[in-house]
Amino acid sequence: MNPIHVTTAGAIAGFATIAAVFATLWWMLHPPKTKAEIAAKRAETTLRERLGTVVVVFSSEIQSEHMMALAARLARGQSSELLAIYVIEVPFTLPTNAVMEEEDRTGLDVLASAEAIAKGSGVEVRTEIVHQRETAQAVLSIAKRERADLIIMGSYREGKYTGAPLGRDIERVAADAKCDVLIGVEGKHGSLLVDEATQPSGTDEPRENSTA
Amino acid sequence: MSEEQQLRRSVTPWGSYSWGYADVGADIFVALGLVIGVAGGASNVAFLFAGLVYVCVGLAYTELAAAYPVAGGGQYFVMRGLGDFLGFIAGWAVLLDFTIDITLFAWGCVGYLSHLPVLGVLDASSHPILHFWIVLALIAGLAMLNIIGVRESTAFNGFVSAIDVFSEALILLLGFLFTFRPELLIHSMQTGWPNTFQLMNGISLAIISFVGLESISHAAEETSRPASIVPRTSIALILTILIFALAYSNLALGMQPWYPVPHDAAGHAQAFWQFLGTTQNQDKAVAVMASNIPYFGLLAAFYVPVFGATLLLISSNSGVFGSSRIAYSMSQFQLLPSVFKRVHRKFKTPVVSIVVFCVLAAIELIFAALQGDFGYEFLGDLYAFGAAASYTLVFIALIALRMTDPLTPRKFLIPFNIKMRFRGEEIYFPLVAVIGFIGIFAILVFVLLTHHIGRIAGPSWLLFGVIVYAVYRLRKKLPLFSSVKRDWNRDQVQILKNAGELELMDELVGKLKARDPDFTAKVT
Repeated sequence: MNPIHVTTAGAIAGFATIAAVFATLWWMLHPPKTKAEIAAKRAETTLRERLGTVVVVFSSEIQSEHMMALAARLARGQSSELLAIYVIEVPFTLPTNAVMEEEDRTGLDVLASAEAIAKGSGVEVRTEIVHQRETAQAVLSIAKRERADLIIMGSYREGKYTGAPLGRDIERVAADAKCDVLIGVEGKHGSLLVDEATQPSGTDEPRENSTA
Repeated sequence: MSEEQQLRRSVTPWGSYSWGYADVGADIFVALGLVIGVAGGASNVAFLFAGLVYVCVGLAYTELAAAYPVAGGGQYFVMRGLGDFLGFIAGWAVLLDFTIDITLFAWGCVGYLSHLPVLGVLDASSHPILHFWIVLALIAGLAMLNIIGVRESTAFNGFVSAIDVFSEALILLLGFLFTFRPELLIHSMQTGWPNTFQLMNGISLAIISFVGLESISHAAEETSRPASIVPRTSIALILTILIFALAYSNLALGMQPWYPVPHDAAGHAQAFWQFLGTTQNQDKAVAVMASNIPYFGLLAAFYVPVFGATLLLISSNSGVFGSSRIAYSMSQFQLLPSVFKRVHRKFKTPVVSIVVFCVLAAIELIFAALQGDFGYEFLGDLYAFGAAASYTLVFIALIALRMTDPLTPRKFLIPFNIKMRFRGEEIYFPLVAVIGFIGIFAILVFVLLTHHIGRIAGPSWLLFGVIVYAVYRLRKKLPLFSSVKRDWNRDQVQILKNAGELELMDELVGKLKARDPDFTAKVT
């Protein structure tokens, strides 16, 4: 066998060949982006920067379980902080610090469900029960305290949207919040936000996906 | 064409590159030994000259494929620039090339595998019948892969191309690092310099190592954002292949092998490059070089035949891809019967084209097998003829399209142009295309003069195609030598829209409206 003979020219030629080939391939695999791709990237970055804290609202009248699932997915994608609140309206006939055991118990159940939904999506959620005179005021106060970037609310128990006002609290939050508000309303023929457990069986109406 | 019958746009930049690499990358395995055998100490110069012609061909394809991202490649460009009849001739010549490609490289794949001790039974000369059946089985298998869908076979190509690029780069790195002697390179060039005829012969052989850019054009219709991606993948392919060809030829001339070089048949001492160029080593020059790299050579003796065979297999696969896409395109433009554009309902691939041209490849295999020891040469002759004929027409088409279709946006424009006015429009006359035409036309003439099988079988194939074309066009009551009337401007707007090149589409529509305020582009 001939002895191994390493030369400077050989080393330069070898590494130059490797460098030239891989530099060419790197250049090929990094083409300039189109306007559409740049816009999509910008929107994604903006959303990530803006979606810091998301507040999900529950109350005795506002159902938000489906919206909670949506919020959890959103929070996971954007690494946002998630806060679920259950608002108990304290009647004017009672002092604000009145003990409301039954309502508190309901609130705990609802928030436990919210935690389970969040855990199912692999995200952490903080929970809080809030006693206030008005739901809207409670939501706005919490949103301000948390510097929320998005408030997510479900609809009232009454059911599907028929064209009537969404409700005083929901409308007030949407009007006065210093951030965006996402409201989940069950559409007339919607199926996404339908709670199957509470729906009558045997409905044969055609259904289309719709959310508001 | 209905939406569900369109080819899927699923090929990524690496997929596009690997379709081209699959075709061109394997050529050096065949050409290196042949060129060294003929051009000797000027092999590196032969590869450089051939590489310059190849760069011209590559630049022409890059510009055209980016401007007209549709399946069909050279056939489409020639049809659009020079009319239906010459478009058919170009397409039919390339079809010859791709069906030969299927057979030639499947044959070569089995040949490389036969270098492994355990698979010696596959050797064509000692077991021709078994060799024939294995090659036939490979062709059938590749047909199935391509029927299943372009995404699947692009993934296959992409994987193998990645392995091969890495492997070839490793051989060159270790070869240069541990065996290269610059003084030996100079000595080999001085003592082994050939005469002019041998050098020209070497250059004509070296061009074979660069045939295959057509594949990127064929994948253009299925490539995402082709006007942006195809120029990059084409240029990257041109550079990669050129780097490999120049590096291999220089390394071969300046290599101090690990094992002593055996004496020649007459008992005389010979240089390593002379050893590579001998008849017994010509078809496995890369493997011989790799096995002479210290220590790595021990592994390479087993490894290189395997990856050589793999690369040849994907080259064969690219032949299936290319032939079916050309036929698809030709039938779209009424150059071939409409059955060739029939797309499989589930897989959305042109199944009839794939089956027909794989059957033609199998027939070519039968003809080659009947040639005995000259079977490989038979296939090689036809390969050279088809490529030279179609590339010659492509250069003319490029010049014609620059003059007749100046409004189509060209995201990539070949450099070195003369600005002039033609029929009231400002055009850029491409000097590189003229140089390329002269180079490739010279090679076409050389093929006809020197390849005794190619000069008969090649024109015979074209004559057969013209008869098929004439029968089809006359039955359909279509013009034979003139072209079917088409609205190329609206077609081009639709092509750019389909390609997702909306910015280029806007640019074209703007130019067309500036020329004709009544122009309306109805894109679907």
